[in-house]
Amino acid sequence: MKQTDVSLRPQDRARAWVIRVVLWVVLVVTLVPLLYVVTASFSATQSLSSASLIPHHPTLSNYRNVFQSGFLRWAWNSTEIALVVSAAQLLITSTAAYAFSRMHFIGRKYGLMTLLVLQMFPNSMAVAAIYAVLAKWGMLDRLWVYMLLLIGGSAFNIWLMKGYLDTIPIELDEAARVDGAGHFRIFLSVIIPLARPMLAVVFFLSMIGFYSEYILAGTVLQSPSNYTLGLGMYNLINTQFAQNWGLFSAASLLSAIPLALAFGFLNPLMAKGLTAGASKG
Amino acid sequence: MSMTAELGGERSANARRHPHRKIQWSAYGYMSPAIVTMAVLSFLPMFFTIYISFTDWNEMHFMNYHFVGWKNYIELFSKNNPLSTAFVPTLVWTLVFTFLSTTLNYFVGLVLAVLVNDKALREARLYRTLLIIPWAIPALISTLSWQGLLNQHYGQINALLHLFHIPAVPWLDTPLWARISVILVNLWLSFPYFMTVCLGALQSIPTEQYDSAAIDGTSAWQRFAYITFPNVWRVSLPMLIPAYSATFNNFNIIFLLTGGGPARASTQFAGYTDILASSSYKVALQFNRYDLSATISVVLFVMIGLISVFNMRFTNAFKGED
Repeated sequence: MKQTDVSLRPQDRARAWVIRVVLWVVLVVTLVPLLYVVTASFSATQSLSSASLIPHHPTLSNYRNVFQSGFLRWAWNSTEIALVVSAAQLLITSTAAYAFSRMHFIGRKYGLMTLLVLQMFPNSMAVAAIYAVLAKWGMLDRLWVYMLLLIGGSAFNIWLMKGYLDTIPIELDEAARVDGAGHFRIFLSVIIPLARPMLAVVFFLSMIGFYSEYILAGTVLQSPSNYTLGLGMYNLINTQFAQNWGLFSAASLLSAIPLALAFGFLNPLMAKGLTAGASKG
Repeated sequence: MSMTAELGGERSANARRHPHRKIQWSAYGYMSPAIVTMAVLSFLPMFFTIYISFTDWNEMHFMNYHFVGWKNYIELFSKNNPLSTAFVPTLVWTLVFTFLSTTLNYFVGLVLAVLVNDKALREARLYRTLLIIPWAIPALISTLSWQGLLNQHYGQINALLHLFHIPAVPWLDTPLWARISVILVNLWLSFPYFMTVCLGALQSIPTEQYDSAAIDGTSAWQRFAYITFPNVWRVSLPMLIPAYSATFNNFNIIFLLTGGGPARASTQFAGYTDILASSSYKVALQFNRYDLSATISVVLFVMIGLISVFNMRFTNAFKGED
């Protein structure tokens, strides 16, 4: 590092300083709003619109109040939904990706592309149809109905997973086949263990998406006990803003915990490299 | 295309080894969870939406709706109907928002990528990490937080401006400022993604190109215009066009930041910042006009379809898909 410093020409050094100043300005503009949310979460309700980054009367009352606001219920609902739906997503994705990667059938070549194109129209665009049908059948405001709506397979995830499965050497399949394993056995005992890094990636990406889904939650769910994080937080900030801003900020920061935990658990797996060298002669 | 021709075109290891392999019917079993859930949960609602758009299914005719032909479409585009005065302005704003916001996000991401990629900047890695932070926060939470920060009376942004003796800005309360806020907040949310994509593209440019350009005595600006930009453009284009269709359909940023407001005096169906996606949602859930909402969705389908065709024509996003 030091060596490059020595070799820098004066005009390079000047340019670096111009860039630095620009980036500092960008960083301040980007990060100060975030710090304001942190500040608000520690501020008493009275000192709301202060421009200071340090709360005048630091207090933990917002964090205490969060636990009486229904926040735990919403966060739990969202976490449960994200876990269940992502797990289902994993099952749907991995079996379909296996077929596309390893089997031969009519539609293999264009099937995935067709699905990708069709999914450019997500079912959140069909809220009128979904709401009207569920209302007619009396199935609104149920968490399991909402989960079911989210479970629909994702062509993008299948595409991602198929790309990964294609990198797993086919020699491994053939070795298993020689030992008398069928497709299901190969899928379960050879492919799935080797695809764990990609399974972790798909699980985490799905989880982020479902944890903060809003549009279908707003369509299906109605009673506060069924609120997801999105619905609960939306109501919190849109009713009596002045009273609730501190509370909302505290809840925002706490709501990052489930995703941070999931990231902590999954990151070692996601970071694990490919199966390079698995079939060394 | 005949089967043999299709097989001949197969490039996967599997097919290469077994050029005339039988069709494995069990493959459909492996795909059935995906196909069935997609059909029931994605495609069926889509087709049903198209169907509803040709009926009068709303609160008044909930149990006995009728087929009404093109009536909803005519209503949507007719000028004098009080329900639809906002439709054409909303359509125009959707297009303006999509174009301005995505383009701005892309170029800010590109400029930042070029800056943090500068060799003379030794602590570049630190900036890259810090600049990615907005991406790491769930967009739902940060968009709602921005709604609070931009509140005209209590928000901390106006409090900060007050320190510099700038009068309070009605960020979310007048049509023009609300639209500017939507674009700025979307920039805050999206630039890290574009910066990351562009950084990947920048790092794939072979250094020989710069070396030979330096020998030819080019200026820094020329190198940017003739080497950096064309290369980055080529690599990032397949990402850019889907980004336009994502912005086009970005319900969350609108609904969570402004709720579509400020409201129009002439109609409740769409406020000044409402895009088609958020307007369709409101019309269905707040006014129970499923027929009209479905019609707006079909217009959305058609436009996203057009963007996708454009996407496919001008990039090779799906080429080599096998």
